[in-house]
Amino acid sequence: MNKIDLKSILNFSAFRSEPDDPSASWKKRFPSEKTVFFGLGRATLSWRAISRSGTPGELETVRADPKEALTQSAEHIKSLTEHGWCAASLNTRYVISLETNLSRRAGTGDMLKTNPRGVLGGRFERGKRYALTHNPETNSSILLTFDEDQIRKSEAMFSEAGLRVGRFCCGAYVLLKHALASLNTVKGSETPVSAFYIVCCEGAVCALVQDQDRWNELRSRTDVYEEDMTPITDLLAPFHSRLAPETGITLICDEPMEGLNERLAKVFPGRSINDLSQPALLANLMVQH
Amino acid sequence: MQITERQIDDFKSDRKDITPPLPMVLRLVPLLFYCSIAVTVILSSIFAIQFQLAVQKRDSHKTQSASLVTQTQDARNQRTALEAQVKKATDIQNWVAGSRPLEPLLVEITRSMGSRSLILDLRLDREAENPSQIRMGLSMGTDSTKQLDTTVEKISTLNYRAFSPTQTLGRGMLDYKATLVYKDPLSKKNEEGSQ
Repeated sequence: MNKIDLKSILNFSAFRSEPDDPSASWKKRFPSEKTVFFGLGRATLSWRAISRSGTPGELETVRADPKEALTQSAEHIKSLTEHGWCAASLNTRYVISLETNLSRRAGTGDMLKTNPRGVLGGRFERGKRYALTHNPETNSSILLTFDEDQIRKSEAMFSEAGLRVGRFCCGAYVLLKHALASLNTVKGSETPVSAFYIVCCEGAVCALVQDQDRWNELRSRTDVYEEDMTPITDLLAPFHSRLAPETGITLICDEPMEGLNERLAKVFPGRSINDLSQPALLANLMVQH
Repeated sequence: MQITERQIDDFKSDRKDITPPLPMVLRLVPLLFYCSIAVTVILSSIFAIQFQLAVQKRDSHKTQSASLVTQTQDARNQRTALEAQVKKATDIQNWVAGSRPLEPLLVEITRSMGSRSLILDLRLDREAENPSQIRMGLSMGTDSTKQLDTTVEKISTLNYRAFSPTQTLGRGMLDYKATLVYKDPLSKKNEEGSQ
């Protein structure tokens, strides 16, 4: 036991999770520390200060190359943190796909990080990082694939700016999981759920069709929209004909998007729209989990 | 269908030496450490205060002791002075007692002698240590002790009392030895008055 260990015991930090421990929630890692939550797009950098109590602050967005934007705003952003810790949602260069018959043995969650080939089999690609969400009623799974090179570049970018990354996540994937967990709350197959999930997160759009608990179709695109929402409706319009008549729409966005509900109502006439979007929803989910 | 997993998947490059947090129960260790420090500080404060009070008490006792020693010394000096005065008074008293004239005693002894008695030798010695006492040695030419009784009676009229009298009678001669002590008639009256 060295001096640092003793110090960490005496200031109680040894009883808290380490700041970059991925198994602990953000709140547990930083119980009373100011941090920053970034959104990283292809040509957009946004950030939001997280207060000591875990409340997200105002969103600030710069439409420029993220590296340049971060270099220019580094001092301002660092002043929003106490020790430079930040989390980031990578909203570009990822793929969300629907897969079937993936391994569901115990420990596959950890194995996906250490030996993804053992879980994904033939779907494994070198230089990628993965996350999985299984459908408990069928053999389908949602697979998130990230470009490892992009992650390393992003890590280097934040490190050069003097920031310490505590978490990299995919905003659209987090919101999709939140929507799935919000709607699918009853155990078993007695009350099957049908829904058309639409996820919008800083230019990225993901659409999932769930029919009677079965995941039938998934489409995910990054860098689809900026200000104009037409590309969203253009991407989603083909689903209308493929959806069952009674299937409602579940919309979830990182921030409420003004006018999107009306546009969706026009594209999907006669369908109910369940909007789960809330101000700073993604930042709140990031802090809570 | 129920989907409960809400944990956010982290894609950051994991550090290899991440350690899990210590069990909450072990929080007792630093808590006890801080408690022991607090107790130590409190006890030290109490000790310091008590020490200060003890030092003050000791100093107070020292002052009191010094004062008492001074008082004792004063009393001793007064006593010495008093004893010196007493000694002086005793000396004066002795001088007064020693200066009492023996002539009346000699006259009275001589007058007490009857016609058939004569004084062969008369010796009166005053003791240096106790001048109020007179050692008397009287040799009389007589054939009875009657003369001695008369003489002793006469002596007692002069307020002398005879102690340890010894007498030797033989062949018309009587030796009488006694210690005469003067008894002040005034002091006797004073004693009677006080009773």
